Amino acid sequence: MQERWRRSPSFRAWLLLSPAAAWLLVFFLAPLVVVLVYSFLERGTYGGVIWNFTFGNFQRVVDSLYLNTLFRSTYIAVATTVLSLLFGFPLAYFIATRSRRHRNLLLLGLMIPFWTNFLIRTYAWLTILRTNTGLVNVSLMSLGLIDEPLPLFGNDFAIILGLVYGWMPVMVLPIYAALERIDRSLLEAAADLYASGFRVFTRVVWPLSIPGVVAGSMLVFIPALGAFITPAILGGGKSLMIGNIISNQFLAAHDWPFGSALSTVMMVLMLLATLIYFRTAIRTGTPR
Amino acid sequence: MSDGFAVELQEVVKRFGDVTAVDHISLQIRDGEFFSLLGPSGCGKTTTLRLIAGFEMPTSGQILIGGELQGYRPAFQRPVNTVFQHYALFPHMSVYDNVAFGLEMRGVPDKETKSRVHEALELVQLPGMVHRRPDQLSGGQQQRVALARALVNQPKVLLLDEPLGALDLKLRKAMQIELKALQHRVGITFIYVTHDQEEALTMSDRIAVIRRGRVLQMGAPEGIYEHPANRFVADFIGETKFIPGRVAALGPPVEVALDGGASVLCGWAEEGTTVGAEVTVSIRPERIGLQGVDDGGTGAELARLAGTITQAMYLGTDTRYVIEAAGGATLAVRMQNVGDGVQRHAVGDAVAVMWDPQHARVLID
Amino acid sequence: MTAPQSQVRDLSPARMGRQARQQPGSNPWFRLRAALGELALGGYGLLGYLFFYLPILILVFFSFNASRSTAQWTGFSLSWYAEMAGDQQIILALWNSLFVAIVSTVISTILGTLAAMAMERYDFVGKLGMDAVLYLPIVIPDIAMAIMLLIFFNLSGIGFEPWRLSLFGVRLAVPFSVIIGHVAFNISFVAVVVRARLANMDRSLEEAAQDLYANAWKTFRRVTLPLMMPGILGGALLAFTLSLDDFVITFFTSGAGFNTLPVRVFGMIKRGVTPKINAVSTVMLAASLLLVVISIVFRRGGDDSKIDFSL
Repeated sequence: MQERWRRSPSFRAWLLLSPAAAWLLVFFLAPLVVVLVYSFLERGTYGGVIWNFTFGNFQRVVDSLYLNTLFRSTYIAVATTVLSLLFGFPLAYFIATRSRRHRNLLLLGLMIPFWTNFLIRTYAWLTILRTNTGLVNVSLMSLGLIDEPLPLFGNDFAIILGLVYGWMPVMVLPIYAALERIDRSLLEAAADLYASGFRVFTRVVWPLSIPGVVAGSMLVFIPALGAFITPAILGGGKSLMIGNIISNQFLAAHDWPFGSALSTVMMVLMLLATLIYFRTAIRTGTPR
Repeated sequence: MSDGFAVELQEVVKRFGDVTAVDHISLQIRDGEFFSLLGPSGCGKTTTLRLIAGFEMPTSGQILIGGELQGYRPAFQRPVNTVFQHYALFPHMSVYDNVAFGLEMRGVPDKETKSRVHEALELVQLPGMVHRRPDQLSGGQQQRVALARALVNQPKVLLLDEPLGALDLKLRKAMQIELKALQHRVGITFIYVTHDQEEALTMSDRIAVIRRGRVLQMGAPEGIYEHPANRFVADFIGETKFIPGRVAALGPPVEVALDGGASVLCGWAEEGTTVGAEVTVSIRPERIGLQGVDDGGTGAELARLAGTITQAMYLGTDTRYVIEAAGGATLAVRMQNVGDGVQRHAVGDAVAVMWDPQHARVLID
Repeated sequence: MTAPQSQVRDLSPARMGRQARQQPGSNPWFRLRAALGELALGGYGLLGYLFFYLPILILVFFSFNASRSTAQWTGFSLSWYAEMAGDQQIILALWNSLFVAIVSTVISTILGTLAAMAMERYDFVGKLGMDAVLYLPIVIPDIAMAIMLLIFFNLSGIGFEPWRLSLFGVRLAVPFSVIIGHVAFNISFVAVVVRARLANMDRSLEEAAQDLYANAWKTFRRVTLPLMMPGILGGALLAFTLSLDDFVITFFTSGAGFNTLPVRVFGMIKRGVTPKINAVSTVMLAASLLLVVISIVFRRGGDDSKIDFSL
């Protein structure tokens, strides 16, 4: 009796897994397959589909209008990633060089905004950036510093700012983790060998932090590319990303097959980013 | 079936995939014995212990505990208890709950449990700590709790997996003595796994030297130290000097011709030694004597080699000399600093090294 | 800069090392540069944290504004909070949020914990595939997952009929689809957290229990489960937080007329910015802060000193 289940660990494992596996099979994998299938169907008149196989949806994705949005979304995601890295790296370095007690507090301080509702954090920027009634423009105009409101809202700037604000913590954390692992004596050894501060950075600190940079970039790029809330709120209805175009196909245009095709394209882009990440991760020895 | 053995292993084999961790090990461990499994890391000694405990099941072979065949009996039904390498104290329970765990599982009444737990903690000299959590204890104290937790069940056999490995040197030495005394007091069979030959020598009644899943030699500490059966055992236990040579005559005593032309006599040769075979002569440093060449003296019964001192290291109680002997052999000799304590030989002195042939052993490479 | 050169003549290694280490400190230029660098880094750190906290503080600040503006301070008032408390839609949305979060947390914690045990403790046929399936809901953008579920529920016809119940006198009608969706993404997060805990657990503790006559069930009950508990609670807390915070998946899977708090807030934002939204936001922020505090307390109890940011 003991021996029987000892000898079939597969059976016991699947017994434990079956509820979660069943749930994910029905409510995750099946919907995933449905989206893939839908992206090859024709749209019906009232939001449904006609079961005719077609590549037309993907041909439309490559139309200039949507291709533009796709490029813009990618550009915004890349810009968000680069800016998060640029501003996040020194912050990670700052945290990593504090004393142990302060480090834990600072990390907690980084996580608290991250744990608060994303929608609310985006809304906070809305009240600050809005064109005529936003805090920045109202304050600057009442101080007489500007006559015309600054174009802070409803453009790529606002979206990128909102995304950097939302996702920079997940850039800082893995970089911090990589920096924290660097042995202090390595830096001292480098300084001991007459390396200047700049060269200690380029020759020791930066190479050792690359695994964290790669992981962080991945964690920022993927949600930035799939952003929906940020462009919906800070884009002011004019500046849209692929996530908004997708949602429009379901909420307004009632073109489900085309929305499915756009989602498929988006997921393929994510998959590509993930593959690049894993290849880099293997090369640089990032723990995953 | 009981032959008075506490634990008996019969041709036990354990394979993990392609790796054979335990390769036909047979052991007979007597009641009340302090028995050590000694070997380098990865030699299969811990696996052997885990097979006895029931954490692993043998691929083939039989294990008997108290004369009873264990078969596939799971760990919780075996009359043995284990002291784990890193103690494995339950971090979410107090010292009391840790020690009482085994009794509770067996349904011992609360009142009896209480008195037995206190007895066990007194036995390991740790009374009055019952409410502490394991992480509030020092390494040595955790060690004692682990011992108490196992002993409180009054097992027939106590299995100890490198229990002193995590302690610092001084504490380890003290615990060695204490463990030995404890074993004497409780009279339980101890099976002790260690890679520390000194620890095994000091504590054990008998030792099994294990390498690559096989028992190379088994016996009392003196026997293993003085009469190593092969080169690995001679090398692994204590310090030994090896002199290469070729067998000239199969005595006894066996005569071995060294490369430089000299020859030495040896009292014992490993089984299978033949005339003309390439062998090594092994001898313990403390068995080698040293004499200035001018001192004269004879002793035809002694083996002698001429040589020159190349290193002299003062070690306090001893002085350790390294001697380049005739035939290119390098020998280490340890001389006690008795008398006036002045070093008697200097680097460059010509000396004669000698030993009683019965302490020299011929081993096949 | 020439000073160190004159000293390099002593070539003993100890002296070399000491000289080299003293070099930056002994030269006032180096010392000044180091101090300025440290000052700049500290200043940058301060700015960084200001960047994260200032928008939130501004948001909270204007929730107490007397006027309708979220940019010009006109005086302290709690009127927006009063208005929030009197808004039946918001109260209903709050109940919906809590109900969805609690139910989906319970289900996903049980399912995720079982899955974590299987993934961490066994080698089995299909493990690699299951690993990928558990990983996907974490990396797939919520908008993609949302429309996947939307199409699926429409096609299959399951899920949209509401679960009607009365809670403390409030009548709720929660679509099953929302709970199903929340569980679908939370299972993976719970599994990740519990797996991390299991991976760090010393297997010899379970062997010790078996050695002390505990059978498989008692070993699980007395040793494995208590030691897993911080991981399970951490996973549950994460699931609860993610469920409370979710807007996108709820929005797309709920059908018309069902609001959780984030969905309600999104609708309010679309209709116009008022300090009332700030007031609702402040309450939600306070709730998040409370959850963070609870999670810290759990971690203290769970004897791992380092903070685990599994996201």
